[in-house]
Amino acid sequence: MSDMALPAAAGARAPLGEAFAAWMLSAPAILAYFLMLLLPTLATVALAFTDYELGADGLHWIGFENFAELLRDRAFATSLRNTLVYVGLVTPGSILGALALALLIEAGTRGRTFFRAVFFLPVVSLTVAMAAAWQYLLHPTIGPLNAMLHSIGAGQPEWLSSSSTVMLSLSAIGIWENLGFNLVLFLAGLTAIPRELYSAAEVDGARSAWERFRLVTWPMLGPTTLFVLTITMIRAVRVFDTVAVLTQGGPNKASQVLLYTMYEEGFTYFRLGYSAAITLVFLAIVLALMWLQTKVLDKRVHYV
Amino acid sequence: MTAFTRRAAFALPAALALPALARAQGAAEITVHYAQPNIYKESYDAILAGFAKREPNIRVNFVTTPNYEEGAQLLLRQSATGQLPDLSYQGFNRLRIFAERGIAQDLAPLLKQEAADPATLGYSKNLLGLAQFGGMQAGLAYAASNPVCYYNADLVKRAGGDPENFPGDWDGVLALAAKIDALGDGIDGLWYTWNGDDWMFSALLFGHGGRMLNDDETDVAFAGPEGLASLTLLQRMVKQAGMPNLTAVAARQAFAAGKLGMIFQTTALVRGTAAGVGNNFALRTTGMPVIDPVKGRLPTGGAAGMLTAKDPAKRAAAMKFLRYSTGPEGQAMMVKASGYLPCNQIAIDDPQYLGAFYRENPLFVASVKQIPISVPWYAFPGTNSVRVTQTMVDNQARIVEGTATPEQAMADMASEVRRLLPRRS
Repeated sequence: MSDMALPAAAGARAPLGEAFAAWMLSAPAILAYFLMLLLPTLATVALAFTDYELGADGLHWIGFENFAELLRDRAFATSLRNTLVYVGLVTPGSILGALALALLIEAGTRGRTFFRAVFFLPVVSLTVAMAAAWQYLLHPTIGPLNAMLHSIGAGQPEWLSSSSTVMLSLSAIGIWENLGFNLVLFLAGLTAIPRELYSAAEVDGARSAWERFRLVTWPMLGPTTLFVLTITMIRAVRVFDTVAVLTQGGPNKASQVLLYTMYEEGFTYFRLGYSAAITLVFLAIVLALMWLQTKVLDKRVHYV
Repeated sequence: MTAFTRRAAFALPAALALPALARAQGAAEITVHYAQPNIYKESYDAILAGFAKREPNIRVNFVTTPNYEEGAQLLLRQSATGQLPDLSYQGFNRLRIFAERGIAQDLAPLLKQEAADPATLGYSKNLLGLAQFGGMQAGLAYAASNPVCYYNADLVKRAGGDPENFPGDWDGVLALAAKIDALGDGIDGLWYTWNGDDWMFSALLFGHGGRMLNDDETDVAFAGPEGLASLTLLQRMVKQAGMPNLTAVAARQAFAAGKLGMIFQTTALVRGTAAGVGNNFALRTTGMPVIDPVKGRLPTGGAAGMLTAKDPAKRAAAMKFLRYSTGPEGQAMMVKASGYLPCNQIAIDDPQYLGAFYRENPLFVASVKQIPISVPWYAFPGTNSVRVTQTMVDNQARIVEGTATPEQAMADMASEVRRLLPRRS
């Protein structure tokens, strides 16, 4: 702790005591950052280049062997593809849905708090517990959804156990999970738009609601939308709980996703080195998304 | 209010460490790990109460994990950091990993010290065989199970069957299931637990007299006629009896709701299933349909205790607990509190232990009758042992979904498993 603090303190222009106090005050946070975030991440990076197995006596440095195997691994390709499908469905679904709901709630005069709370509930509820509820709702024979479909004479899909519908079902649950969070962000973005802009737009001839949305709301929501887009994509890439509880990646890998494959490799098959390599792929995707937000898109969406 | 001085703050960690010091000076104290407290807790608590009376100087602390999988992870992690418990109860199919990695200790010499022939203690050759892996006695079986058939007697009656004379072979079972399936109203005929691991597949394979690998474990042995017949049987369940494509949880829910005629799964779930069914319908159990009356066998599931303590005093204490829990008294307590099969021949043979229990709980009897044809759950060699089981499940999924014929699935299963077997030079 002290060897971290001293060199920096010596170079500071502020009185030595003050700088020292500052370092001491931030020391717990810095220490926690090193111990809880940076070191484990570096250890994971190092592990990704070894053949370490849980409980094995030793480990060997195998260079890029794990990554070469990732390229050959059909199961990994499947899980990457499924994750992309999931992100591709959940991101637009939960963003457009949240935007539409936010506009409706904002336009309405009564029950705003009520609707906000109702749609936010999924965010604060425990995913694992909610997954059990979904398990019942989507049950092929005794579930309410299929009972409804049956009464109107439609087919009764095996939502979570058929490889053709399982990703759709999981994505629907994902949209339900993320919608409320995005809704609250959009509501905050909407209240920040100055009322005068709408009046000005109306004076300038933007009479219809759609024109006002296109010319004022949508551009002014730019920064919010960008943030929502990034955070939703990152949250979607992270999908794990619902898969672990509802399908365990089945049937025949039809619902294998990135993090579940990582968990399975590391903690079911005990191949920690390989699992660490998958973690690095995941980390790269998340970092790329964040980079996209901060460097590329951030410049284009700020008007004010 | 006293001010919290700096000196006091420094003294705090020392004060927190004191109880640990006090504990270390007492009599022998051991840490025992077991999985699935939702199923096993009552049985271990009962055994601990009995053990405490017999060995008042040994203190036992339990550590639990929600399931076998996390239990295996815990032990492997702790063996890497040198914090192993002294005794751990692991699933039969995971014992081999611990035996091959040198974490489990050979119990054969310890049993020899106690009795020249372990059978006199109730450890018959078959029971010892359940936990022999990697060329040693890696553990002592604590709880055993085998697959049984649960059926809804009301649905069987409605479909024109006789609940008292349930068919004893698959032809009869599939015909009856098809009739139940035809009742409509969202009712399905049967469900076979093919999708958890390889256990229920091995029930079909062993039932045909087949086996997983050859004698020296260098190549697959399931790809022959027995394996193909097993996959074909799975396909017949779908085609002839309309077996729905369900997850195991969904199937159990459907059965408990009275929407499923029969379900084939481990006897360990008898207690839970009976509780879930309640008074919805008349629940019955019976043995697995017989495939080959001579060569047919069934796999044994369950858990065995393995010794991991290195310190001699703790090792002796842990062995005492293991012996008590797998002895006739401990086994009688285990059966009554869990629904598993006993793993001590004395507890099985001597009616004073469990005779009355089985008379009063007929649902448990189906599995007892299958003990003579039960063989150990086969565990694959090498580091890919668990992945092999997933490969088998994945290929069975293709049959259930109708995307592959038994021939195609069997060919892929064999080549994929071959790739996962340890390479011998």
